[in-house]
Amino acid sequence: MLIEGLRIRDFRNIEKAFIEPHHRFNVFWGLNGQGKTNILEAIYLLSAVKSFRPQTNNDLIRFHSLNAQLEAKVDRGGSERIVRLEIHSKGKAVFLNDQKVKNLRDFFGSINVVMFGPEDVRLLKGGPSARRKFIDRAIFNAFPGFAFVSQQYEEVLKQRNALLKKEAKIDPILLSTYNDQFVEFGSEIVFRRLTFLETFIPTLQSTFEDIFDASFTAHMEYSSQWLGEAKTQKDIADHLDRALENSVAEERSRRFTVVGPHRDDLSTQLNGKSLKAFGSQGQHRGFVLAMKIAEIKYLKERYHFSPILLLDDVSSELDRSRNQFLFEFIRHEMDGQVFITTTHRDYILLDEDLRYWEIDGGQIKPD
Amino acid sequence: MQTRDPITNLINALTKLPGIGERTASRLAFFILNQPDELAENLASALIEVKQQVGYCTQCCNLTKDERCMICQAPKRNQNMICIVESTPDLRAIERTGEFHGTYHVLHGLISPLEGVGPDDLRIRELITRLGQSKIEELIVATSPSVNGEATALYLQKLVKPFEIKITRIASGIPIGGDLEYIDRVTLSRALSQRRELN
Ligand SMILES: Nc1ncnc2c1ncn2[C@@H]1O[C@H](COP(=O)(O)OP(=O)(O)OP(=O)(O)O)[C@@H](O)[C@H]1O
Ligand SMILES: [Mg+2]
Ligand SMILES: [Zn+2]
Repeated sequence: MLIEGLRIRDFRNIEKAFIEPHHRFNVFWGLNGQGKTNILEAIYLLSAVKSFRPQTNNDLIRFHSLNAQLEAKVDRGGSERIVRLEIHSKGKAVFLNDQKVKNLRDFFGSINVVMFGPEDVRLLKGGPSARRKFIDRAIFNAFPGFAFVSQQYEEVLKQRNALLKKEAKIDPILLSTYNDQFVEFGSEIVFRRLTFLETFIPTLQSTFEDIFDASFTAHMEYSSQWLGEAKTQKDIADHLDRALENSVAEERSRRFTVVGPHRDDLSTQLNGKSLKAFGSQGQHRGFVLAMKIAEIKYLKERYHFSPILLLDDVSSELDRSRNQFLFEFIRHEMDGQVFITTTHRDYILLDEDLRYWEIDGGQIKPD
Repeated sequence: MQTRDPITNLINALTKLPGIGERTASRLAFFILNQPDELAENLASALIEVKQQVGYCTQCCNLTKDERCMICQAPKRNQNMICIVESTPDLRAIERTGEFHGTYHVLHGLISPLEGVGPDDLRIRELITRLGQSKIEELIVATSPSVNGEATALYLQKLVKPFEIKITRIASGIPIGGDLEYIDRVTLSRALSQRRELN
């Protein structure tokens, strides 16, 4: 997967830009507040439509402009596509080869990116929803059909919650209808998550050892109150079904769905101790870095393609040897396209297959 | 809301129709105003007539001006087979195929707690009464394959279970003439999982 051309118009502080990226390394350097992260955000949006930072559509449109336009020419193993995103204050429109995309699930997967930035430590320190988002996004990067399953699940969950909220006396047949749908989609989500983790966790562990050293054992586990030892989709469905049964009383009083994949979490440990409670800053960053790298390796191994890697100001957050590791990895162990932002060119441990741009007040200048 | 200006009243009334915004409504209003009186008179009486005369068929809840709709009255239709649809337009779509020779049951909606629509808001009770009264051999649930369409189908399946009637669901999958390459993945994987044996 390769971006061959990127056009930006009236996006954030960038009025107008066109770049032809290198197929390997692209470095955007400049002082603080010049627009480096904005460029990565543009690429991210062309992949995910939603940004990695909280924002409204208006925040994305350059001050005093009507709308923002992003366009990329993408090469996917020989076939070329033009992906275009129009951002209006009222909404976004996506175009594939000039055809308006009606259902986003037909679009997702057109560009796959993995992003690593300073905000990402929140992934481990914050609440469980960010971790569910990480795992679901990783699955969906590899398997776009997953978007449909999670969409359906969300919809069933909303209907089921509405039923629990509104009705004083719930029609038992109707409740059992929504239970069936809930279990059908919920068990598929959990099954996909477990299947993903089965190959993901060993990769994560070995990557973490490479980043630090072999005396550190990283571990990650799916954490759920109801799952038990279930592994097959059938078993998962049975457990989820029983969990619903067991939570009837609690649901009656709280009036929403209290169990299910929308409440599950990932727990992380380092040498058997909770990372969240005991890990240092650097260990947190290393762990997240290992997660992102493991995600790339996973996509590469299972699906034989490298996603586009976006590294936002990462070097300034890592110590020397972690930074060295990162560049060793992107040079020798992955073959995809990488976009890097930095304030200091000497952080960048690369000497070939490389293109530099200087970012200055929203201007992108080749150098 | 009624104002004292008849033109404004007409425009306001027209904007209540689906798909008609302020601009279209005012275009329509002035068009009607500039036509001979006959157009307005015909339109007005047709509107009143349709509301006064058209009601639900006492058997299948299809729209009709008689007690029973044309389909329920047709002697050649198989009365033991009922195709359950969400709405009259859906019924008409199936009728146009000319492939179905049974009768229908129109629900007039799909179950959706989120929008405050429960089984009692649909014509489900009428269906159950009907099952108790005559010997039905097969129910075909032809609601759309959306979450609400599936929920309604599943609900009906559970509800009629005690009657021990054969109940089937229309297939969903790849459109005829569809190019596999352009079919979305979900439709494709659903079609795969519902594949059937050849011979
Ligand atoms: N909608 C907008 N219109 C115009 N300018 C904007 C808009 N949104 C953000 N900006 C400007 O973009 C700049 C921030 O850009 P960005 O976050 O890309 O900086 P950066 O180069 O990554 O800086 P740092 O090195 O500090 O991370 C700020 O000056 C901000 O005012
Ligand atoms: Mg930045
Ligand atoms: Zn009828």
